[in-house]
Amino acid sequence: MATSKSSGGGGVIITTIIISALLTIVPLPESIRLFRPEFVGITLIYWTMAVPNRVGISFAWTIGLLMDVMLGGALGLLAFTYALIVYLVLQFHLQLRQYPMWQQALSILSLVLLLQILFVLVSSHSAGWEFWLPAISSMLIWPLFFNVLRTIRRTFHVH
Amino acid sequence: MRLLLALIASLVLFFLDSRMNYFAPVRSGLSVIVYPLQTIASFPSDSSKWFEELVQNRKELIEKNSQLAAINLANSVRLQTLEDLERENMRLRELLGSSFRLHERVKVAEVLAVDLDPFSQQVVIDKGARYDVFIGQPVLDATGVMGQVMQVSQFSSQVVLLTNPSHALPVQVNRNGLRAVVTGRGLGKHLQLEHVPHNADIRQGDLLVTSGLGGRFPVGYPVGRVVSVSSSQGQPFASIRVEPAAKLSTSREVLLVLAAESLDMLSGTESVVEEADHGDE
Repeated sequence: MATSKSSGGGGVIITTIIISALLTIVPLPESIRLFRPEFVGITLIYWTMAVPNRVGISFAWTIGLLMDVMLGGALGLLAFTYALIVYLVLQFHLQLRQYPMWQQALSILSLVLLLQILFVLVSSHSAGWEFWLPAISSMLIWPLFFNVLRTIRRTFHVH
Repeated sequence: MRLLLALIASLVLFFLDSRMNYFAPVRSGLSVIVYPLQTIASFPSDSSKWFEELVQNRKELIEKNSQLAAINLANSVRLQTLEDLERENMRLRELLGSSFRLHERVKVAEVLAVDLDPFSQQVVIDKGARYDVFIGQPVLDATGVMGQVMQVSQFSSQVVLLTNPSHALPVQVNRNGLRAVVTGRGLGKHLQLEHVPHNADIRQGDLLVTSGLGGRFPVGYPVGRVVSVSSSQGQPFASIRVEPAAKLSTSREVLLVLAAESLDMLSGTESVVEEADHGDE
């Protein structure tokens, strides 16, 4: 019984990650294209925070590798950053859960910024100010995202 | 501990992949896994296009048809003169003893409506290894050079656009044959013509075409137009900005240029050269 329940939870987690991967590549209008939040990153952060026993570093690494392939970046780059971010969230998930929403959003901002700094360090992009917009939009969308994912988690009893 | 393993694994992957390209097969294998996702993501815009075509009314279609007929007429008139010029050009080149190939065979592919990282300037097309797409294959659209194939998987490939900061393309000025290299400058910026001295004969409005010197692109396809030439005294080279000829962000159909069969071309050249030599004697 318990095993069937937990495997169902895994399916839910993977489904939300697939949906956020779709959101990452779905074409957006030119005006808001640069504001696209780091959907996969914040989905991983949510699940790590909410059910740290279900999401591990190797899982994040695998997702990052697949995202690298999908986005055509250098292989291993997103794998590295997702693994690092999930590690950080695993360390601090108890504190993160206690934070009020705005403080959580600020933590999201810093985590996504960290992801992007790593990106800039290793890639040849000439990054202008537009490059940092996803961190801000991720922060702004976090309260909504958190509520949606929490509803999903409670509906499907992911523990 | 696991973090350390993951970090080391990704660093190893990163260096081996970006420095030595060991992982092309791994990458193309994994691309097959993510291809369904890309297809799903492009579905909304594909289906809206299909729906638009479905509900287009008769009047619009007639209008469009007459427009296309007009364009076709204009093009066929130009084609007549072009054929004449082509033949003349071939004759002249035979006299010069150099080979020239005007007809490249192309294959049509469609751009998947998938938004990759806007800063990396790449697109995904719906033809892959199954259609003999290969790495480095030139990609054109109806108006000019778009870029080249960077990665190939079974069903799709990734094309790096001219505007990618790590892309460079040998070109020549159509007006006088001046050779240079054009490089990308990233999102929303013009291309740049590299290492052109201040006194070079290049002006605003000059058309740049591929020179074929890199050995990858066929000769003579439009790359872009010079929008500004500025030479400041402190700089060693003139700063020349180029507007791409291809519609990089709006084209849906792209053309993949097939590899030219260089063998018969070469032998043809040799015989022509020999004849020319005999003529000299």
